[in-house]
Amino acid sequence: MSTNPATSTAITPDETIVKKKLGVGFWLCVTWLGLMAFIALFTPLLPLKSPTQNFLDPANGRPPYSPSWKHWFGSDKDARDVFARTLHGARISLTVGFAAITAGFLVGGTVGVISGYFKGWIDRISSFVFIVLLSFPSLVLAILLTSLIERSLLTISLVLGLLSIAPVGRLARAATLQFADREFVLAARQIGATNRRIIIKEILPNVAIPMSSLALLGMAVAVVAEGGLSFLGLSVEKGITWGGLIQLGSESSKTLEEAPWIAFFPILMLFLTVLSLNFAGDRVRNYFDVKETTL
Amino acid sequence: MVSLLSFAAACGGDSSSDETSAPTETGAPTDSGAPATDAPAEETPVAGGTLRVGLEADVDGLDPTASALAVSGLTMAAAVFDPLFTFTADGDVVPYLAESIEPSADFMVWTMTLRAGVVFHDGTPLTTDAVIKQFEITRNDPLVGLAVKPYYPETGAVVKIDDLTMEFHPKEASQFFPSALTAQLGYIASPTWLDAVAADATLAQAPVGTGPFVFDSRTEDSMTKFVRNDAWWGTDIIGPVYLDAIEFYPVPDPSTRTELLQNGDLDIIHTTDTDQFPTYRDDPTLALDIDEDGEEYFLMINTAKAPFDDIRVRQALALATDRQGYYDLFNAGEGSLADQMFVPESPYYNPDVKQDGNDPAAAAVLVAEYCGESPVDADGKELCTDGKVNMEYQWSGPSVLATRIADFYNEGWSESFNVTFDEKSQADHIQEAALGIYNVVGWRQFGAENPGDDRVWLECRNIGGISLNWPRYCDEERDALIMEIANPATPEARPVALQQLVQNLHDSYAYIFMTYSSWAIVQSEKVHGRCDRVGSDGVPLVCSTNGRLYFQSTWLSN
Amino acid sequence: MRYYVQRVALAILLLLAVSMLTFGALNVLGDPLFNILGPVAGDVNNPESVEMINTAKREFNLDRSLPVRYGLWVSDFVQGDFGVTFSSTGQPPVSGVISERLPRTISLVLMAQFFAIFVSIPWALITASRAGKVSDRISTINAFFLVAMPNFAIAVILKFVFSIKLDWMPLTYKADDPLSSRIFQMVLPALTIGLPVAAVYQRLLRTDLITTLQQDFILLARTKGLSKWRILFVHALRPSLFSFITVVGLNTGALIGGSIVSETVFRIPGIGSTLVESVLRNDFPVVLAIVMIVASSFVIINLLVDFAYTLIDPRVRR
Repeated sequence: MSTNPATSTAITPDETIVKKKLGVGFWLCVTWLGLMAFIALFTPLLPLKSPTQNFLDPANGRPPYSPSWKHWFGSDKDARDVFARTLHGARISLTVGFAAITAGFLVGGTVGVISGYFKGWIDRISSFVFIVLLSFPSLVLAILLTSLIERSLLTISLVLGLLSIAPVGRLARAATLQFADREFVLAARQIGATNRRIIIKEILPNVAIPMSSLALLGMAVAVVAEGGLSFLGLSVEKGITWGGLIQLGSESSKTLEEAPWIAFFPILMLFLTVLSLNFAGDRVRNYFDVKETTL
Repeated sequence: MVSLLSFAAACGGDSSSDETSAPTETGAPTDSGAPATDAPAEETPVAGGTLRVGLEADVDGLDPTASALAVSGLTMAAAVFDPLFTFTADGDVVPYLAESIEPSADFMVWTMTLRAGVVFHDGTPLTTDAVIKQFEITRNDPLVGLAVKPYYPETGAVVKIDDLTMEFHPKEASQFFPSALTAQLGYIASPTWLDAVAADATLAQAPVGTGPFVFDSRTEDSMTKFVRNDAWWGTDIIGPVYLDAIEFYPVPDPSTRTELLQNGDLDIIHTTDTDQFPTYRDDPTLALDIDEDGEEYFLMINTAKAPFDDIRVRQALALATDRQGYYDLFNAGEGSLADQMFVPESPYYNPDVKQDGNDPAAAAVLVAEYCGESPVDADGKELCTDGKVNMEYQWSGPSVLATRIADFYNEGWSESFNVTFDEKSQADHIQEAALGIYNVVGWRQFGAENPGDDRVWLECRNIGGISLNWPRYCDEERDALIMEIANPATPEARPVALQQLVQNLHDSYAYIFMTYSSWAIVQSEKVHGRCDRVGSDGVPLVCSTNGRLYFQSTWLSN
Repeated sequence: MRYYVQRVALAILLLLAVSMLTFGALNVLGDPLFNILGPVAGDVNNPESVEMINTAKREFNLDRSLPVRYGLWVSDFVQGDFGVTFSSTGQPPVSGVISERLPRTISLVLMAQFFAIFVSIPWALITASRAGKVSDRISTINAFFLVAMPNFAIAVILKFVFSIKLDWMPLTYKADDPLSSRIFQMVLPALTIGLPVAAVYQRLLRTDLITTLQQDFILLARTKGLSKWRILFVHALRPSLFSFITVVGLNTGALIGGSIVSETVFRIPGIGSTLVESVLRNDFPVVLAIVMIVASSFVIINLLVDFAYTLIDPRVRR
């Protein structure tokens, strides 16, 4: 999360490979994301081992136990099943990622569209607020806030949502500006449509297209951000998260050396998920041929 | 009172130490003197060299009247200060900076004589005025004074007879009196310096005592350096100081501490991280010394706050705790499970007292009974939800190990308890424990050389705004037992009374004893003579206490 | 001229807003007294404790109202006095902490930039010259992989591979080692920050290069029979570097954010790891100072990039 989505994942449209279809890769990514979403929603119902139980097995020596038929991804130092924990980790990571980007869209999107449409002082103020928010490297702001509050699923989502307001808002504003003076908008206004109606009927559908890829890219950033926070021990308390699992597996070099599976299975899941979100977002953007300049 | 205020370190203390991944300004010196390979076991001590010590933490100051000195702070303080009294290897208390002490027949007046001719590092002579001044400053400190105030009358607590003789007038007769002056309360600081500290608090970082080493320099969280005191009063009476200098490096992460020791960047470390013990044993260049009869690690319950004001709930928590599993996971076969505050070898060990645990079914019965009464707290909030008791487990973090331990406890407790995790910063954690804003915390405590000195954690009078009686458990019977233990007239009743005290602690269910803390002292093979300390009459002195180290007699082979 | 004044004024306004937000959040949501006094801070029924609390409040200006404290802090801060740390003695001063640790973070970030630039330029040149070919597509996928790997995961992987398995690199940083060893110890931390950024730079530069390569003057050069590499290096690279340099500049501030994780994993006592420690210790003066340094560098670099633009292309001034 060292950079914001506008720059870090700015994969530009590619003249040489642009084909107007989403491609196999896209559908692979969507499948993976669907699988993750399914796991996140239904982990408690799946026939998994308990993610918190300590499966101490004296015959097997001291934990951590290496991957085996009994523990597919091995066990951690407390003899807990890494497979079950990794799948459970999807819950918080994806929930936070989704909730954060949703909150960012609700607030940032609304403010961005309104300021892009009405311009004037609303626009000046909101633009200033966006710049202020963007003046903090996002991880700095996230650490600052999470250290001061009770860390629950809701508050972590809100903090990360706050972080996504500015990038989302700026894009929404820029996209709105493109359409606000277009003929169909002027025409609608001529025939007496209210601002509210124009925004909902004319502006939103057009703005939604470039925003759709940002939703995926932004969710990737939020998932990574949550991982970073929990890696630093600053995410949801008492929750299993990918970042937390990775931290657990890498806290000492001895653990990492003796039982690399503790850290690497969650890394793999996190990586594939973020990759899928980025790739799908990128494909969507190419599909709609969104101009980079709006950023 | 000996381990006075060791809570600063004990807070969130685990039998294994905190392995936070916080970066550290380890700053160990660069001249990597390779460990000497040709150091025969028997050698005459040689003077010279700088000893580099790796400690588990830094302190916020080295002022015995105000700083909360825990194991690291006491180790540093022992270099620059001398205690009035000290423990021998056999556990007796003998005078050190004091020349002698005599109780009156009823033990209500103790007449202490100081050594003549002792001067502080700043040239101020050691007199009774210095000791009395320090006593009063300490007593008025809202934190350190908590261990003094309850035991002395408002006026006339200390009386000057002449420049070297003074009287203590404690409230009650106690046979333990001098042992209270073996550590923080007995480390006498220069009165000139104490005045200066009152005017400028930053001077608390640059202590002035009478000790074998003189303060040289200190950078907080990095390095504190002391150099040899060539004018030390003890040179002729006790023995020479060999080291040119000692450098103390706080290295909170135990694996980093170990690594620095193995690289030769440090000469000696202390640690409670049992995970590393096999590493030390396997390394032929290191000498390992494990001390297991000191503190205990236990879960501490706030008995003043619902739901744990009900003994059934406390008992249920103990029963639901997987002690065996804890030992298997976190102690790595080192040390042993503790049932009480004494080790089995101790004469005060009570063989009938066993810590409850590993019985979730029995816990469920008690909780069902409690929750069946639909209890509510003072604000009318339900104390049970879905037939389980609501509680909070607090620790200081973020720490990977502390979180693992919390997860582990929760796994055992969750059948009967709805556990909320409360991870607090170190400062907030100590604060809330001291002020009684907690349900259950992990703690490391007890294990005073003189068992009577642990009374400060146990008596009714130690409950207040800030309580040293952390569980805020008041029991007249227990206080009577403690009085009996302290009673100088009946020394023969002491072992039995201590055994009864052990039973009383168990019956209160305010503590769930987990393990005996294992302190490992690991040193490179060029470090010698650390345990050769003697008192003024040649009697061997204690080598280390709960990880605290003393370096007067230490020397380095080249 | 008016444009420059406006931009500078906006930057100052921006920093004021950032500092107000941070100052406000820290003071409203946290209580630094615990950190200064320990349990005594909550012992409000004991007159001696209350006296200590009041003394500490005076000493650390906590008895003043929020706006006054903010004013005091700002006026001190702009004069280079960052205040005292919230410890029992106020030692060491914040400026001491910063001046000791900031250089490490700066060297780390510069090293990361160095790696990122010197990985991305050749990478972009090669892939742009073979745009659309298999090797280009593979590299595109690689770039995607790098961007999708969170930096804390990269840190763990680098540590595992190069420090633990291969034992080529030291595990941690030691502040007192000689410069040469410290530089060596910073390689993995710098790669942790630099690698994902290299992928971003490469993507950008590659696209620009492809565009440039289709320009007439390149075609002209090609018909003159200049060698492919000469065209790439001499004719194509320079005009393509414009937006590249911009992004490199803008990323420097963001890299300081990235150093938080890297410094924590590799135990470098820089301002990133100090921020995490101080935040957890409620040591607000340190937190404020670090946030302001990071935000200022962010804003100033933005400003410089803007000005550089106007110098090259005056139309931007509008």
